[in-house]
Amino acid sequence: MERDDRFSKENLKRLVEGTLHWEEVKKAIRLSPKDSDRFWKYLEVLQEKVPWDDKILLRISDHLYIVAKDGGRITKCDCGHEFGDYRVNWKLGCQVYVRKTSEEIGEVVTIPEARHNIELVEMREFYCPGCYALLGVEVVPPGYPPVFEMIPDLDSFYREWMGQPLPDESPDWFQDKTLDKPAEWAKEG
Amino acid sequence: MGICYQGKTLKETVDEREQLFAKTGHAYGLEKLDLVEEDPATFMKFQMRLVAACINARETAKLISANPMSMVQGELLFMLANPEGDVISASYGLAGHIQCMPFIIKSIADLGFEEDPEINEGDIFHCNDPMYGPPHNADNYTWLPIYYDEELVGWTVGLNHIVDVGGIQPGGLGTISTSVFTDGFTVPPTKTGANFKQHKWWDLHWKRRTRTEMFNVLDDKMRSAGIVVLHDRIKEIIDEFGIDYYRRGLREIIERERRVLVNRIKSLAVPGKYNYLHFDWVGYKGNLGRLWPASNRNWMLHKPAELNIRTDGTLLTDLEGLASEGEFHCNAYEPAVRMLTSLGMWPMFAYTETINSSLLYMTDWNIPPGSMFNPQNPWAGTVMGLGLVAGYIFIFTNTLSYAYFARGYLEETFPQDASGIGYGISGVLGDGLQWAGGDMGLLTCVAEGATPYHDGFPAAVCSPNPASDMGELEVTEFLMPTQVNIGRKLIQDYCGHGKFRGGQGIGVLQMVNQPGQFLQIATFGDTHGLGACATGRSGGYPTSNNVVMYVHGTNMRALLAEGKPYPTDFVEVQEWIKEGTLTAESVEIYNGSTPTVQMQDGDLYVTCAGSRGGWGDVLERRFDLIEEDLEYGWISPECAKTVYGAVTNGNGKIDTKASDALREQMRNRRKERSVDAKEWWKQERQVVLDKNWHEDARNMFADASKYEKFRKQFHGMWQVPEDYTL
Repeated sequence: MERDDRFSKENLKRLVEGTLHWEEVKKAIRLSPKDSDRFWKYLEVLQEKVPWDDKILLRISDHLYIVAKDGGRITKCDCGHEFGDYRVNWKLGCQVYVRKTSEEIGEVVTIPEARHNIELVEMREFYCPGCYALLGVEVVPPGYPPVFEMIPDLDSFYREWMGQPLPDESPDWFQDKTLDKPAEWAKEG
Repeated sequence: MGICYQGKTLKETVDEREQLFAKTGHAYGLEKLDLVEEDPATFMKFQMRLVAACINARETAKLISANPMSMVQGELLFMLANPEGDVISASYGLAGHIQCMPFIIKSIADLGFEEDPEINEGDIFHCNDPMYGPPHNADNYTWLPIYYDEELVGWTVGLNHIVDVGGIQPGGLGTISTSVFTDGFTVPPTKTGANFKQHKWWDLHWKRRTRTEMFNVLDDKMRSAGIVVLHDRIKEIIDEFGIDYYRRGLREIIERERRVLVNRIKSLAVPGKYNYLHFDWVGYKGNLGRLWPASNRNWMLHKPAELNIRTDGTLLTDLEGLASEGEFHCNAYEPAVRMLTSLGMWPMFAYTETINSSLLYMTDWNIPPGSMFNPQNPWAGTVMGLGLVAGYIFIFTNTLSYAYFARGYLEETFPQDASGIGYGISGVLGDGLQWAGGDMGLLTCVAEGATPYHDGFPAAVCSPNPASDMGELEVTEFLMPTQVNIGRKLIQDYCGHGKFRGGQGIGVLQMVNQPGQFLQIATFGDTHGLGACATGRSGGYPTSNNVVMYVHGTNMRALLAEGKPYPTDFVEVQEWIKEGTLTAESVEIYNGSTPTVQMQDGDLYVTCAGSRGGWGDVLERRFDLIEEDLEYGWISPECAKTVYGAVTNGNGKIDTKASDALREQMRNRRKERSVDAKEWWKQERQVVLDKNWHEDARNMFADASKYEKFRKQFHGMWQVPEDYTL
């Protein structure tokens, strides 16, 4: 693919790091049409950033990536921790801490009057078991199923939108397999 | 012989619009855009003429209004629609309303208005009844047919948000209503004028059925004048370009921009399923007594959404699991959902050459019948359904932010939380003058959420209106003289934290000044102690809750008379009461909407709202950003330490060594007090098995479990016995 340097890889790297100057960000916002090779540049920047070599297929949050590994597609933290099949909500592979009391919530909502109603909701924090980065926060009633924020249709994306099909295409990839995990846990007891 | 092109009736024309799209996938079946392709410059000139006409109508007409929301807060819109109801161009302002006009025109077509009461040149029509297209009765539509050589060639439409709707509470955004009968003045489509003038009887309705006759009559005159001005201008444009060009041009605008939107999704996003979740809470228990037994309860409202970005670039939003309709003020219909949620789409991908209804051709919704946004009770209360739809604006800002982040377009991310508030007010002044008003200043100027690359700006955006404008305080005070603003500022520490933090919310403190015989205030808000969003972004914290305080029987008058300082926000009010400097007989505190509260001279009305959530892990926030926060006072040293693990050295600088050590401790604490997911699952499962919930949460789960999709997810997640019921 021809390189589109109207938004350079260097600037993209800074944008990813959160250090790109606002004036440059504004230029990126105004860029019309956008640099069409952005995704490929992004993958390059990210691949250079992580300390492992598994091929990144998609970045889904600050720390989490869907990568190709051993014929599968797994969710992986940049620290190297692997969460397993990306079709299972990665939150079910986390260390979890639940803030249930006003004091516990007060550690992150320092204004007392603005705190949550602990009779109705709890605050869940999902940490990476490898590096203990905070990967996700939920404010929900106890017993609410964890929210699976994003299940990308990778095959359609790579084939139809990016014009570069993945080698292991299958209709099975675009499925939510989260419920397999609690079913497994229930069997284990 | 019908009134539309080639002698078709309005109903035939409207039906054909739907059939052509269903058959071809193109608006009006336009596979080719002949006018655009043959001479794009002329086409652009034509389109810009239409836009300019709408803006001109707005700017001219708004001077007739006395309503601060129209005059200075941008709560109005003037539109040109084609005969089928598609909005082709609009002024700036309440842009979401272009989504409703096709529903309104379809309603009058289906109701047979062409035969009775007839649609003649110069006739003026009005509607604010949500059953027929408008989102709620505060938003009033006035429209006029455009005839050219005896053919209906379009409609000019004026819309604005009125101050008071004549409901059981003052203002236009009530927090209590059990049915349409308590919603206030709700008008189905009605012919209210002829010969380009409103009938005199129509004024009487505003005078007798609402509290703010002066505002509402003048608003009506504003809308009527604007649509007549726009009507005349559109006819001049038709003269200039020719009727054939005009007729086809309107359709090509819609189809061309439909293609632009689809391509924008394809070029910025990643296809897939994205989930969003928001909770609301409504408290009626104890407020309504025996009169409305079905409403004498509280509701925790479940508002999930699954956004499907489809491979063809169109969007399907599935609301399976949405709370059931109820005898409350929170119901809404599909046009309201489409109208308000489009405000989450404009900034994300729907920005086009003009504001138009092309969005309708690439967005599908599943809104389950019997849910609060597809009520089957024809008398469902809808006075503030739109307030509850508001949480769904952020389906698009939040999920599309993830989709753009995944694609690498970080600069296009724009996540938000539901955190705005406003109030309705009414009273009787000392001389007997009855009046009412409302302030949406805090709704029309909210912070930006943090993005993956920067902190959210404070006081930056308006979720329900692309033209963010807090308005001029002096105008608001002139029109609502009982509300003296003595504090309006950004509140320290009041934001969702993260590697990048959300923008701070705005605190307001008003002193009630000479209310006369009677004054009452009802506040509407988004959070209700449940937070502004159920999920944070990428490990950032969603912003927390609105704060609303009614402080009664204060010594403020004495403090002012003695020339002493006075508190300017809710934090200071609390501190000053504690210290004894400020005295108060009673204080009511809420975290969102409130019942109607009576106020006296010297009472304080204190609010804080409009902050937004963070992005990323707080322990990764750069020290230089924290130093900047400390320097400007956005974050206190205590908050920097407790939340961010940043230790200050006393000079506003970060002690990096001590901070690194503290952060290490905080990470270790995470390790110590967290459990693995399986252990956590066991604990949560036990809550589910024991049904150990607050009554409101239990009712919410029981209601959501009526839906197969939620039940399957809930039962599957917690592996409950087959006979488990709620």
